[in-house]
Amino acid sequence: MAFLEMVDIVKRYPGVLANNQVSLELERGEIHAVMGENGAGKSTLMSILYGMQSPDEGYIRLKGSTLFLQSPLDAIAHGIGMVHQAFKLFESLSVWENVVYRREPRRGIFIDGARARAQVEELAHRHGLPIDPRARVANLPVGVRQRLEILKALYREAEVLILDEPTAVLTPAEVATLFTVMKSLAAAGCSILLVTHKLNEVMAVSDRITVLRDGRVAARLVTADTDPDAIVRAMTGQQITLQMPKQPHQPGAVRLAAKDLSVEQYGRRVVDGVSLEVAGGEIVGIAGVAGNGQSELIEALMGLIPIARGSVMIEGRDVTRASVAEHRASGLGYIAEDRARTASAASASATDNLAMGFHRSPPLAVGGLLKPAEMRAWARSLIERFDIKIATVDTAVGTLSGGNLQKVVTARELAHNAPVLIAEQPTRGVDVGAIAFIHGELLKERERGHGILLVSAELSEILALADRILVMYEGRIVAEFARADADEAILGLYMAGGTRA
Amino acid sequence: MTIAVELRLQLRRRVGPLLPVIVAVAVGFGVCGLIALGVGFSPSLMFVQLIKGAVEGPQLFETVARAVPLVGMSLAAAIPLRAGIVNLGADGQLALGGCAAAIVALYLPAPDLVRLAMALTAGMLVGSCYAAVAAAGEIYAGVPLLLSTWLLTYPAKGFCGYLVRTSLRDPATAWPSTPRIAVGARLGHLFPGTPVNQGCLLIAAVAVVVIFIDRRSSAGFELRMRGLNERFARYGGVALNRQTLGVMLASGAIAGLVGAIMVLGSQFRYTDGALTAPQYSWSGTLAALLAGGEPLGSVIAAVLFAALQTGGFAMERSVEIPRVLTMVLQSVVILFLAMRGAIWKRS
Repeated sequence: MAFLEMVDIVKRYPGVLANNQVSLELERGEIHAVMGENGAGKSTLMSILYGMQSPDEGYIRLKGSTLFLQSPLDAIAHGIGMVHQAFKLFESLSVWENVVYRREPRRGIFIDGARARAQVEELAHRHGLPIDPRARVANLPVGVRQRLEILKALYREAEVLILDEPTAVLTPAEVATLFTVMKSLAAAGCSILLVTHKLNEVMAVSDRITVLRDGRVAARLVTADTDPDAIVRAMTGQQITLQMPKQPHQPGAVRLAAKDLSVEQYGRRVVDGVSLEVAGGEIVGIAGVAGNGQSELIEALMGLIPIARGSVMIEGRDVTRASVAEHRASGLGYIAEDRARTASAASASATDNLAMGFHRSPPLAVGGLLKPAEMRAWARSLIERFDIKIATVDTAVGTLSGGNLQKVVTARELAHNAPVLIAEQPTRGVDVGAIAFIHGELLKERERGHGILLVSAELSEILALADRILVMYEGRIVAEFARADADEAILGLYMAGGTRA
Repeated sequence: MTIAVELRLQLRRRVGPLLPVIVAVAVGFGVCGLIALGVGFSPSLMFVQLIKGAVEGPQLFETVARAVPLVGMSLAAAIPLRAGIVNLGADGQLALGGCAAAIVALYLPAPDLVRLAMALTAGMLVGSCYAAVAAAGEIYAGVPLLLSTWLLTYPAKGFCGYLVRTSLRDPATAWPSTPRIAVGARLGHLFPGTPVNQGCLLIAAVAVVVIFIDRRSSAGFELRMRGLNERFARYGGVALNRQTLGVMLASGAIAGLVGAIMVLGSQFRYTDGALTAPQYSWSGTLAALLAGGEPLGSVIAAVLFAALQTGGFAMERSVEIPRVLTMVLQSVVILFLAMRGAIWKRS
């Protein structure tokens, strides 16, 4: 009998069968990857295991006894811990306070801070998770915050640790450290469920893989006996080429140029003297760990935030002080990084979301009046062209999976046929099928002679698409490479603030 | 999928969005019934008198007459609300609009009909410009509209009050007010013998235009998108500042028009405090909130509130149940609707 079993789990939502008789076995000390496209049922399955949802059918058995989890507190009491993609920490408190929260060692009615700090230090040391118990969470880098989340689970004596997309925000070096930690935890008897999209990580760190598709188990694989192509086949049910054929790099005229661009926020220079050019027919990648000024750079290029110094030209036109509408009119398309908060209105229909930006001119509007029939036809044509899975054009886009919502955003921005496209994290949290599709579309844009500025925290994405690569660190461009001269190691080094000695 | 499930899904899709409103109204009636019971009135008597007082015989015209300014003020609130902006200054725009209309109708040397038309126009213009002051404050100085619209109400009311106490004062009356406007420059009766005047048609026309713009124009589209997600609107290229200005101009114009209609159609003079005393802007804001800024819904809610209010007056007169209960009803309905975010998402 396995250490943890989820047996024939069924979970229905209105109109959707999220989990259809899903079974999963986890051995003690095993690193088990749970893979699947968005909407395949991974999140539902994990939220059932963590007590956030109760299954309609099926049961969970831990060490041979059946569990009825009412809440995450129940799950934690049974030794099941979870590190969410978005960390759940008190930023204004210190590391040790976050770790011992709700389980504080006490002396009388007071919290025994000294003992708590000692416990946290000992725990961190034992598991090879170096951290200063007195540090304020607000001052910690992302990688350390994640370490803290893991410590929180371990402090509650978690024997099963669920890691939800843990590497999404980490530098390559931090990823390597995380894998070391995972392996040592597993060696110490902790069982780990790794929820991820990333094939290379699964291959590097997992023992076994359960692949979900459309709410069912599509495959159970032993990592040592499988390869990435087999996993992709199981996830998508079809053959997908991960490597796209690419035409040789033949840059045309400069379409987007920023000169000595600086942005200041709260007295801090978040973008510091950035100069860059994007020519037609090329993809320029900006690599960097999230939070090094990429978002602010893009917002400044787009006219969303004021520019303190420097200039921006689009197609030879100075747009340094222009409005967003003028930027768009000059020929700039923009796939924003936050598809749900910025690039769409969740409660609005697909028709409305796809019409944004086209709603003032024919064919969607004539003389300031909308043409509802044209708007719906327009939405229908984009939905078809981009193979977006949506019930009707009137369906609110907030109901879509991440991949489909990203396709809605991509479809709209590409439909502008703008000579310059900014693609910011265009495939973050998106399933493999959609990634391949979106990458293909970006390459088509390049072949049309459009210039693309690609920002991604995903090195594999930058390396697969970009012709030139800029590395951003603390608001500055610290290195530039032609694609042929770049590899993961050297980019990772510059992303972490290092230089070639 | 079975037919029953399909039916249930259909029902949820059609009725689902309205369900919170229906439940809130039902709960409001329930609470008021209980209060009535608690203080010794019969709830059934109360509701019957309320409904009779709102729609029976001539009372129906009373309701319509009250609905005219209330619908107008609900639209003045709904337009900004659609974009997520709150105009709390409608009272000031209303007073200034009414006062301007009175001045033009009294003193413009022109034929009656021209005077009337100019008076209405002046009401709209002045209301509009005053609302634009608040918009400019937010755009250029960062003063939140919520604050500036509200605070600007007091100088507006004070200024009009000053005028009717000094240069515009009709010495023949005890209360500070202007002289009466000549019959020819007034809005005529729509149905003789009832309090309903031609302003009813003007507000109906405004409602139709607002609903049409909201649903069918590019500007209405941008307004809705901003209300749903302001970041998205900005990202999509909507010029938010210009939109704020436009929205406040439109909202202020409607509030000013309502003031002009009240002065030209039923009061025939500007009397200090008379336009704002019935608190139409307050009820109008509640109606717009009830409909989430959707204009047709706001109109319907405003008519309902007008019916409740006339019904409340009649009830108080005929069976001496205090009409404050109808205000309680309104408040409970709004409070329950405000809870929907928490309650309705859970299911």
